[in-house]
Amino acid sequence: MRQLARSFTAFLKTGIGVMLQYRGEIVLWSVWGLVNPLVLYAVFKAGAQSNPDQQIAGLSIGEVAAYFFTIMIIGHLSAAWDTHEMGWYVRTGRMSPLLLRPIMPIWKSLADNLSYKVCTLVFVGPMWIFFALLIRPTFDTAAWQVALGLVATLLAIVLSYTFNYAVALIAFWATKLDAVGEIYFGLVMFLGGRFAPLPAMPGKIRWIAEALPFQYMAYFPTWIFMGKVHTRSEVFLGLAAQLAWIAVSILVLRLMWAAAVKRYTAVSG
Amino acid sequence: MRLFAKVSILNFAAYRFDMIVRMLVSIMHLAADLIGVWTIFSNTKALAGWKWQHLCVVVGVFRIVAGGIRMSIVPNMRRVLEDIMDGTLDFVLLKPVNAQYLVSIREFVVWRIVDVLLGAIIAAYGCIQLNGYMPLGAVALFVFMLLAGFIIVYCLWLMLATLCFWFVRIQNIEMVFWNVFEAARFPIVVYPNWVQWTFTFLIPLAFIITFPAAAFTGGMNMIRPFHIAMAWIMAVAMFILSGWFWRIGLRRYSGASA
Amino acid sequence: MPQIEIENLSKTFKVPEREAGLAAALRSVFRRKYKEVAAVDRVNFAVEQAEIVGFLGPNGAGKTTTLKMLSGLLHPTAGVARVMGHTPWKREAAYLRRISMLMGQRSQMQWDLPAIDSFFVHAAVYGIPKDDYKTTLDELVELLDIGGILKKQVRTLSLGERMKCEICVSLLHRPAVLFLDEPTIGVDITMQARIRKFIGEYNRKHGATIILTSHYMADVTALCKRIIVIDHGHILFDGQLGELSGRLAPFKVIKIDLDRELDGYDFASIGEVLLKEARKVEVRVPRDRAPAVAEKLLSDLPVQDLTIEDPPIENVIAMAFGGKAGAPPSAAEPAAEAARA
Repeated sequence: MRQLARSFTAFLKTGIGVMLQYRGEIVLWSVWGLVNPLVLYAVFKAGAQSNPDQQIAGLSIGEVAAYFFTIMIIGHLSAAWDTHEMGWYVRTGRMSPLLLRPIMPIWKSLADNLSYKVCTLVFVGPMWIFFALLIRPTFDTAAWQVALGLVATLLAIVLSYTFNYAVALIAFWATKLDAVGEIYFGLVMFLGGRFAPLPAMPGKIRWIAEALPFQYMAYFPTWIFMGKVHTRSEVFLGLAAQLAWIAVSILVLRLMWAAAVKRYTAVSG
Repeated sequence: MRLFAKVSILNFAAYRFDMIVRMLVSIMHLAADLIGVWTIFSNTKALAGWKWQHLCVVVGVFRIVAGGIRMSIVPNMRRVLEDIMDGTLDFVLLKPVNAQYLVSIREFVVWRIVDVLLGAIIAAYGCIQLNGYMPLGAVALFVFMLLAGFIIVYCLWLMLATLCFWFVRIQNIEMVFWNVFEAARFPIVVYPNWVQWTFTFLIPLAFIITFPAAAFTGGMNMIRPFHIAMAWIMAVAMFILSGWFWRIGLRRYSGASA
Repeated sequence: MPQIEIENLSKTFKVPEREAGLAAALRSVFRRKYKEVAAVDRVNFAVEQAEIVGFLGPNGAGKTTTLKMLSGLLHPTAGVARVMGHTPWKREAAYLRRISMLMGQRSQMQWDLPAIDSFFVHAAVYGIPKDDYKTTLDELVELLDIGGILKKQVRTLSLGERMKCEICVSLLHRPAVLFLDEPTIGVDITMQARIRKFIGEYNRKHGATIILTSHYMADVTALCKRIIVIDHGHILFDGQLGELSGRLAPFKVIKIDLDRELDGYDFASIGEVLLKEARKVEVRVPRDRAPAVAEKLLSDLPVQDLTIEDPPIENVIAMAFGGKAGAPPSAAEPAAEAARA
């Protein structure tokens, strides 16, 4: 365990070092996460304004702002992109030197993920504040909801990473199919509440979303922060669901990893 | 001619799986756009007066433009960036053809036409849903406005690529474009006035998607002659501006390596 | 007790088969045909501790595939291997900590950071105690002479400098067994010599067992007393370097460029004619006759340029062991490439 901590710390140190080298690029990467929620806010606001009660999907314009503002932040913190990169690592054989190491490659990927988030905070933090002043979100939240919201956010980050990595492992088999990242991204968008609050999604899609973990990666904490999860028991149920999905993700991840290595060492090494 | 056809079929067979996957991904993107429209209009009747049929056209036009960009502009701009970084732009400059023209037409990615076709189908669908048929006048006007829009897109890209004469390491310059272009996915009328102003005069996204889409659905009802004039004046102005900027960059490049 | 033992080790790849022509290409859209290629075929050998073994063979012979199996990156289709008591493809952490593999084409370092940062990460990942790390690092830096480049970004290093850093990284954890896959490929001659010198010294000092692959004869003659020659997945020779030189057909190739076109000179009588064009001729002659033949050619003919060369290793192996002269490289390693794709 201490060995793992030492390795992970080393990965973090160098990960941040690399991110600082690429400071221009990482700013660019984080821009989409800022622009997209703003565009959607404008769209849903216009939609609300066309409705007689100036509401859309039961949310006032201020609440629409609150939704996209919050999910902008939580979305950034729970971002995971191994689904986009794993294919490249496998296809180009870059996985080989990583497999020679007596440590699973996931730890380095996780460290890179966290390094990105730590380094971009300097840029996105002020942007978030600026946007809050711009679109004026309205919140109706109790203190306990904020507290539990923070717990949910933490779990969301863990879930988002582990589930994403598990799905990314598909790349070990589908070496020619480079669409895993795109498809996953689409699923997160629509089933994870990034395009619209889940209550606004058409019935059939809503129904599919209920059964999947994407809702717990950003939507669930956002909904708590907006004060829309009204009873403590509802919140705890959601937290339990997050934990359950994390457990499932980790289990699937371990099984798939063993199979993935077997596949890699059979085919190319 | 036959030889080229044969070679390209051989290539197709070799990369057939890639092709199929790419087409599926294109369809997937279109489906995602449409799910978006479906979601929005499950909750409201209009966006600042634009109805779902209008949004179908917007989605279609976005696909057409994005497909066109990826078909002809992106491959050329990527190559220019490589040339600048490797110093191989010299070969282009030695040719007796205008450099800007040459770097703009060298590359062409044919399969991206799928995006353009899919976009056209959806746009046509939206138009027919609204009007009951496709008025030829609207189509003509649409193409006219789309052309102006595409010229503006090209000019924006050229200016971005020209920046590389100074900041040689901007490999992700593409991302700058797509990030900002996100805002053009929806008609600019949904944005507050100051943003609309920005997208009309500062970064002319309005003419790329919104205006052509309006032309297609509403024809001369939505687009006034004044709009047409504005679009084309902007196109010409951008063309002159970007060409001038490119020449400055070129001078710097030649000066630097000489 | 040998440190490395291999018995009947085999690795077969399935390679998509593709014929030329339009009809075949169209057919392949609907139905793929596969061919089985044996990259390594029932290989047996054993290596004692502190031996340096040269693993020689042309491209696609199966060298890299064998090394990958020994380092755990590939598992075999058949056969057994035990290295220091472990089965490599089980990839036990305890095993991985005691070996090292250097792949010429793949980097173990972070490209955007100085080399010293990659060393630091390596020490953390392999659990090297701080004091040991410092001692080892100092020693390696001195032996490899990389003190000046430690703080330079890996991306900016020349190939030779990078190779030295790769070697350093792979030795930081003092592996007992070292697999070097084409360590000098693409590196200039002076650097090649330096790297060879270093490997020899390291082996003498620390008793590390080394298996070194190359298709440069020079790598192997400098370092290895024992040579294993492999081709098309089979071991053709396993023994002392001295024997190999003896068994090798001791030939030299004389190449001449003529001033003008020539007709009627009987080259066949002085040696085996490999190439005869209007102004270029290549003949193969027994090694000890080469100077005499060269002298004769120079006096008989209007020679503009004359060189005496060793035949390329592919031909040497083919000749010595009865294959066709100038046999083309086997399909095995390109197959591996395709399988990876």
